[in-house]
Amino acid sequence: MAFADAQTQGALAHSLLIGTRLPVGRYLVASLVGHAAFFAAIGVSSYFHLGPRIDMNQQPIKASLVRLGKPRDPKLLPRIPDAPAEAEAKAPAPQPPKPEEPKSIPMPDAKARPPGSADRRRELLSAFNRTPKASGSRTAAAIEELEGHPEGDPHGDSATQEGERYFGLLKAQIQQHYDVSQTIPEQERLHLKAQVLVQIGRTGEVLRVQLASSSGNQLFDNSVLAAVKKASPFSPPPEHLRESLGRRGIALEFRP
Amino acid sequence: MNRSSFLTRAAGFALILLGPRAATAQVPVLEISGANFRPMPLAVAAPQVADDHARSKSAELDAALMFDLSASGIFQVLDRKSFLARAGEGLTASAINFARWADIGADGLVKTQLASEGQKIRAELHFFSVGTGKEEFKLTDSAADTDIRRLAHSLADALYRSLTREPGPFQSHLAFVRRSGQGKEVWVSDWDGKNGQLIAGGNLNVLPALMPNGSGVAFTTYRTGKPMIFAQRFGGPAVPLVKSDHMATGIAFSPDGKRIAYSLALGESTQIWVAQGDGSGAKQLTDTPYFINTSPSWSPDGKRIAFVSNQGGSPQIYVMNADGTGIRRLTFQGNYNQTPDWSPRGDLIAFTARDERRAFDLFTANVESGKITRLTQDQGDNEEPTFSPNGRLLIFASNRTGTSRLFVMNSDGTNQLPLPMDSGTYHTPDWGR
Repeated sequence: MAFADAQTQGALAHSLLIGTRLPVGRYLVASLVGHAAFFAAIGVSSYFHLGPRIDMNQQPIKASLVRLGKPRDPKLLPRIPDAPAEAEAKAPAPQPPKPEEPKSIPMPDAKARPPGSADRRRELLSAFNRTPKASGSRTAAAIEELEGHPEGDPHGDSATQEGERYFGLLKAQIQQHYDVSQTIPEQERLHLKAQVLVQIGRTGEVLRVQLASSSGNQLFDNSVLAAVKKASPFSPPPEHLRESLGRRGIALEFRP
Repeated sequence: MNRSSFLTRAAGFALILLGPRAATAQVPVLEISGANFRPMPLAVAAPQVADDHARSKSAELDAALMFDLSASGIFQVLDRKSFLARAGEGLTASAINFARWADIGADGLVKTQLASEGQKIRAELHFFSVGTGKEEFKLTDSAADTDIRRLAHSLADALYRSLTREPGPFQSHLAFVRRSGQGKEVWVSDWDGKNGQLIAGGNLNVLPALMPNGSGVAFTTYRTGKPMIFAQRFGGPAVPLVKSDHMATGIAFSPDGKRIAYSLALGESTQIWVAQGDGSGAKQLTDTPYFINTSPSWSPDGKRIAFVSNQGGSPQIYVMNADGTGIRRLTFQGNYNQTPDWSPRGDLIAFTARDERRAFDLFTANVESGKITRLTQDQGDNEEPTFSPNGRLLIFASNRTGTSRLFVMNSDGTNQLPLPMDSGTYHTPDWGR
């Protein structure tokens, strides 16, 4: 009998059907803390590693660079400005830090170009473009005075400065290649809007480019993607933007 | 459950929780506008012909079509010398090697075929998108073999309309003045200056204006010694339109053709008048003694008139209501602005101005904002702009090659091309609407 009792007691003690007093509270707290820490860790890592999201309702940044030059007398008729290449050759603007040049092994047949040869070539080519003028009032060497600001930027395309300088520079660089087919009907142009997400590395190279929202017009979508690709590499981002442009990138909202 | 799949699920769950926070992680949005609208690089293959009669006409059709497409402003017509495709390549998408067309930078490809049907020529135009390798559409048309240029203009218009959903300007007419010895003649031609017909010759005939319905032309003539305005319906005689004892010059038809505007010299001043299309019911609009008001041009809705006046000291462009009220000065830059032409699109007025280097050049003024845009520069003197019926192109006179000839360009001043006219001295074009 006593044996049977003892056996029953033992079975009851091991039965899962009968509740026992366990130190649940301690495990519960440990579990909650563990979960919280886990999610916090994921949250922190997602902040740094997950792809960026675009808030479509966010107010777009407007940025423009003021052009280098003297203001024109408002009483005079406007002149068509010449290519900004000449202005660039005239006064180099403060440039963001140059990317580190990858050290190249000197090759026997790789001819080192003299510094500034690209500018020199452009200068020579632009001299070709200037055909002899019938009015004879200008010589090929005459440099056109552009409307602008004495402290402007050679890349500048606006009469006033607005917003973050680097974004203005990005915009100016992309706009140079922002070519869209003239055959797109005008009434359609009013509604075209495409967003492109670009991540930019430390030296200005494009890490990733992706169409975030399509305009609905194949010709236009292709044009804006081509504009970003042709404009790259961009100028190296300044210190305070380097991190966010590399990790989260910037959304470019294109309208005609 | 193995460890990695657990982690994946946990991460997924975390994402759901974190979604709203991540969505507000600010990605700066940079607005980029101001696209450079560029003409589409277009390859136009030489026409294929089905028979000898069609062959004899193909060169003329080809030349007219090529010029229309080159001047259209929406195409950059590629040089045939660069073509890599086989000469006899077919007209169907399956027969075309699109890679060869893509290699020369073409986005669009046009192929035409001509065949004769009795005394008529039948033309087929196929338009292909090189990127997708598909035929986008096919156009067919026919015309008498004596009208082969008109067939080309009709095809060019149809192609223009198919792509832009706007009417093309290539079946319209042009009036202009041609110098002949000591005299000046009024001519009317196709839009490109070809197929010209002499309307009025023999003495000084200037400032032609085509009637809006295309039925005739009016002009200022000195045949009686003093300037008078005559009208001539095609095939009919020239008759006086403005009956006045004063010197009448510079007629402009309202867009519906029901009214005319012109200037009358009264003593020391010149004033703008309007009248019915037949010259009746004349009424004086401007009244500025000692000043000159001239060169009227109607707005496309017929409610306003642009004109030149020196009432501010120098010739400038002004705008007023068609009843003479609400006179407003539009241009404040430059000191010699003249020959306004109101765009059929309504937004711009093109005019001739003398700049500080004393060169005559073309400009546009925005009617609402007054913003002045320069169209020509450093290419001789450029004068007397006239808009195409769709407002996309301008024809003007330029002496850049020595004598005054007619040129066409886009309304923003790009793509300036000489019209393929016989040699001569040409002035004051008027593009029919």
